[in-house]
Amino acid sequence: MSLQYHLQVAPGDVAPFVLLPGDPGRVEVVASLWDQARHVAANREYVTFTGTYRGVPISCTSTGIGSPSTAIALEELARVGATTFVRIGTCGSLQDRVRVGDVAVFDSAFRADGASALYAPAEYPAVADHEIVDAAIEAATALGTPHHVGTTFSTDLFYVPEPGSAFGGYEQSGWRERYADVARTGALAAEMETGVLLVLTRIWGLRGGAVALVSDVAEERDESGVWDPQATFDVSEEPIRRLARLGCETIRILGERDRVRSTD
Amino acid sequence: MSLQYHLKLSPGDVAPYVLLPGDPGRVPLVASLWDESHEVASNREYTTFTGTYRGVPISCTSTGIGCPSTAIAMEELARVGATTFVRIGTCGTFQDRVRPGDMAIFDSAARYDGASRLYAPLGFPAVADHDVVEAAIAAGRELGLPFHVGTTRTADSFYAMHPRPGSSFDGYWQSSWRDHFEDLKRLNVVAAEMEASVILVLARIWGLRAGGVAVVLDNVLEVWGDSGEFDPHTQFEHGGDEIERLARLGSETVRILAERDAA
Repeated sequence: MSLQYHLQVAPGDVAPFVLLPGDPGRVEVVASLWDQARHVAANREYVTFTGTYRGVPISCTSTGIGSPSTAIALEELARVGATTFVRIGTCGSLQDRVRVGDVAVFDSAFRADGASALYAPAEYPAVADHEIVDAAIEAATALGTPHHVGTTFSTDLFYVPEPGSAFGGYEQSGWRERYADVARTGALAAEMETGVLLVLTRIWGLRGGAVALVSDVAEERDESGVWDPQATFDVSEEPIRRLARLGCETIRILGERDRVRSTD
Repeated sequence: MSLQYHLKLSPGDVAPYVLLPGDPGRVPLVASLWDESHEVASNREYTTFTGTYRGVPISCTSTGIGCPSTAIAMEELARVGATTFVRIGTCGTFQDRVRPGDMAIFDSAARYDGASRLYAPLGFPAVADHDVVEAAIAAGRELGLPFHVGTTRTADSFYAMHPRPGSSFDGYWQSSWRDHFEDLKRLNVVAAEMEASVILVLARIWGLRAGGVAVVLDNVLEVWGDSGEFDPHTQFEHGGDEIERLARLGSETVRILAERDAA
């Protein structure tokens, strides 16, 4: 087993530290911040670049949207030697104090996805590695980025479960208080990949964590009660570059701390 | 609402930082490490001492065994002003790398309890506060204690779910229990105990802080030996010094948290 079936990467192609955006189109934006970068592979929704950032070897692989394609990316990256995974994504806020343009550092995930449930029972926690949480907080503080540490709601659904969100007004009665209940638990934001990332890295004894840019407020609706992500999402280039910078700095701090520890 | 129904505590009786052992008999032992302390209340399985440890105001309240009584302790402590909760307990381990006498620092819990799911659905993570985890690590290093950071499996049962008959009374057993412990080992779960999940879930929901440290007493995959019998008297031999180390680790964790909070 050398060349991986979906990602088309082989041992030696990726660094131990990997950034994980969802969108393959963002990988090149991330790599543009590095000292040097090369395009390693592109297949389906998986694009991989490898290089160095401020002296630290680093890779960036897109996961595609959702937990199923993310689980495949993690399986294949781990097989070729990746050990530390930092998701860099966008998310929708569930709390008034978490504003568009802020950053969320996820120390845990509320598991509302399908893939992680096939690996581990629902009782099992989706928890980030504390070293990544600590490095991300330090990076966000140093970059002067307003940030919040907390739980993300990781769901396999983008257009539901909110009345007015699914096509044709389709809804289920159990959806009415779904997001309100999630918000009452104190979860900061909602997105679609972190839950499976945290579960799989924890199971394998690897390190996983996530930072995300708040790009919308989950309950925002137009006058007719319809939710249009095209109108409400702010995913312009400048905030995405800030997110990429935060991810890279998190890895630089992790890499430096690991080096100090190994020479202790 | 002033005097709490079960804990018999009122606002002003407890410090913001509270250590939570299970056993009411351990509360005076924990408090004996402090600069000064006094017994505040004792009712049912709930004993509370309040004092100062190296200058930091601190309390210790026993939770009793299991998540139902622990949820009551959390509800009532939060109402009288507690904001940071550190469980100090004993645990078993599923991992060969973790030895009896080592410390476990819980950053999360697998939720095999009943009480926490009445507050939040199972998908919600039982996760420790980052500040508490970092302070416990700093305290473990400072005290020179071997420790492991990871997930605990919190269950509402002590004698059930063991892999072989011989643990529950009269050989009662269920086939679904056979691989449960091995599955948890494969899930990289570090510890087994009975209270952490509800402490982590409730603190997180309320926007308060919680974490847990525990001293490892045994490897739960080795406790039956050849007979399949599980006898906690022989398996859980511990003198006073494990518990004293645990109490010291908890108290130092609180001291470090308080100093970082003040900074």
